[in-house]
Amino acid sequence: MEQDDPLSESGIVTLETVVREPGANAPVIKVENATKAFLTPDQGAMVALQDINLDIPYGEFVTVVGPSGCGKSTLLKLIAGLTPLSGGRILYQGAEILGLNTKVGYVPQESKLFPWLNLEENVAFGLDKKRYPRQQREQQARHFIKLAGLTGFEKYYPAQLSGGMGKRASIVRALAYEPPVILMDEPFGPLDAQTRMILQDELLKIWEQKRQTIVFVTHDLVEAVALADRIVVMTHRPGRIKDVLRVGMKRPRDIFEIHRQDGFDRAYGRLWNIFRHELNIKRA
Amino acid sequence: MAEEMTQEQARIEPSSGVRAVAREELSKRRIWVPLIRVAVIGGFLGLWEAASTWWMEPFLISSPSRIVNSMIQGFQSGDLMHNTWVTFQEIAIGFPVGAICGIALGFSFGRSKNLAEIFEPIIIALNGIPRTALAPLFIVWLGIGLWSKVGVVFLLTFFLNFFNTYAGMRQMDQEYVDLARLMGAGRWKLTFRVILPAIAPYMFTGIRTSIPFSVIGAIVGEFVAATEGLGFFIRMSAGLFRTADVFVGIIVLMFMVIAMDKIAEMIERKALRWQARTDHVTIQG
Repeated sequence: MEQDDPLSESGIVTLETVVREPGANAPVIKVENATKAFLTPDQGAMVALQDINLDIPYGEFVTVVGPSGCGKSTLLKLIAGLTPLSGGRILYQGAEILGLNTKVGYVPQESKLFPWLNLEENVAFGLDKKRYPRQQREQQARHFIKLAGLTGFEKYYPAQLSGGMGKRASIVRALAYEPPVILMDEPFGPLDAQTRMILQDELLKIWEQKRQTIVFVTHDLVEAVALADRIVVMTHRPGRIKDVLRVGMKRPRDIFEIHRQDGFDRAYGRLWNIFRHELNIKRA
Repeated sequence: MAEEMTQEQARIEPSSGVRAVAREELSKRRIWVPLIRVAVIGGFLGLWEAASTWWMEPFLISSPSRIVNSMIQGFQSGDLMHNTWVTFQEIAIGFPVGAICGIALGFSFGRSKNLAEIFEPIIIALNGIPRTALAPLFIVWLGIGLWSKVGVVFLLTFFLNFFNTYAGMRQMDQEYVDLARLMGAGRWKLTFRVILPAIAPYMFTGIRTSIPFSVIGAIVGEFVAATEGLGFFIRMSAGLFRTADVFVGIIVLMFMVIAMDKIAEMIERKALRWQARTDHVTIQG
């Protein structure tokens, strides 16, 4: 990520323009045999992820599902470069991620808005590196605040916003500086069912417009099917990829009537089959 | 979506009727709270005056009227002003320098694991020394003038600020730092837009708890050896059984602490206006 043109090193300069184009064949993220082990307090090693292989093409909405503790969040942290790999490698636009990957946006489980900055400052936080003139910067921030339906709350501090509002703000904060890839770690986890649906709907609407690559971690099977182009199913410790499913539902989707949409049942059924299998194994 | 919005707005801006009731309750409180407070203070002063007139020797406990007289005289002769100025200078130098050094070191300890691991036991050991006991040493090293007292003030301020800032750094949420860095924050932005604001509540706790201690430092230094300053004034007055003057010195010190704390509180309020404030925890039932 230190180099602007990572591909030139391997001599495939000509591919450069093709690679950056959404929908091109080259993946934006390529995970190769990624393994991550943690030290346990008693000096043992706990393998969180083992031999993960995954290609994520441009503009794809990928959901990652699995039981808690299967290393879903760890996978996101590895892609973001927040924690080093124990083995294997992860490529971002063809270049190995060695340090922090500032090309990705990250939406954590809790909103984690900076409590000391107001809504507008929070949303504009990532815009500094873009070096926009002040007016454009403000415009950009306001545009995304509007997308989140938070116009009028620009000067509010996070403590003055409700849980759902904070969540929306947290998402547009990651979107505002327009990273090509956005990693979301169970962002709707702690919300009630209604707010959750509303936010899923809004997320899809924003995504239909911008078409970033999204890697979305969840433990909710319906959510996984409703949002995804592809679903990555992970197994319990050590986390491995059990299966990858393609969701054959057309877009745009109606989150509120998702059960009635063509293809939902089939995708959900396949996903549930895998999970049932997984549960049986654990019972034995 | 639209409906949710209006609900949220309703939560933030209560209707005018609700507000009127709330305001009335508030204004009632605003009258009786200070009323009782004044009554308590007045009663105490009255009892004191009565005690010194009828029941006890005035040179032991003095009296409010005598203290007021002494204070007026002290100000008129310029003596009191001079001594106050001397003590103020000691604090005005020692306190900010001590606070800044303490905060800076606490911050560095939080940033560098190596630094913290090497020096933490040493700092804790040093903290175990009763620091006022070092005052005589400072007199030996720095003379009986201003700088020995500045040294004691510095010492007392430094540790409190250090420990509070360091505690703040240790509870700092790593996720804020990670997020800021992913969003492209460099070293400066990370320090001034993320870490310092995040630990600001701890820093202010350190600053505000160290205010009375900085005054204690100055007074102890002056008790040990000095030719001027409020500590010197109090000790000398007590030696001459001028009890009223002792109280005058104490009262001036008290106001010094209150003034410093008020200023710190004002700054804190401004700096931490993002915090949801809980003044009192209400337990129902």
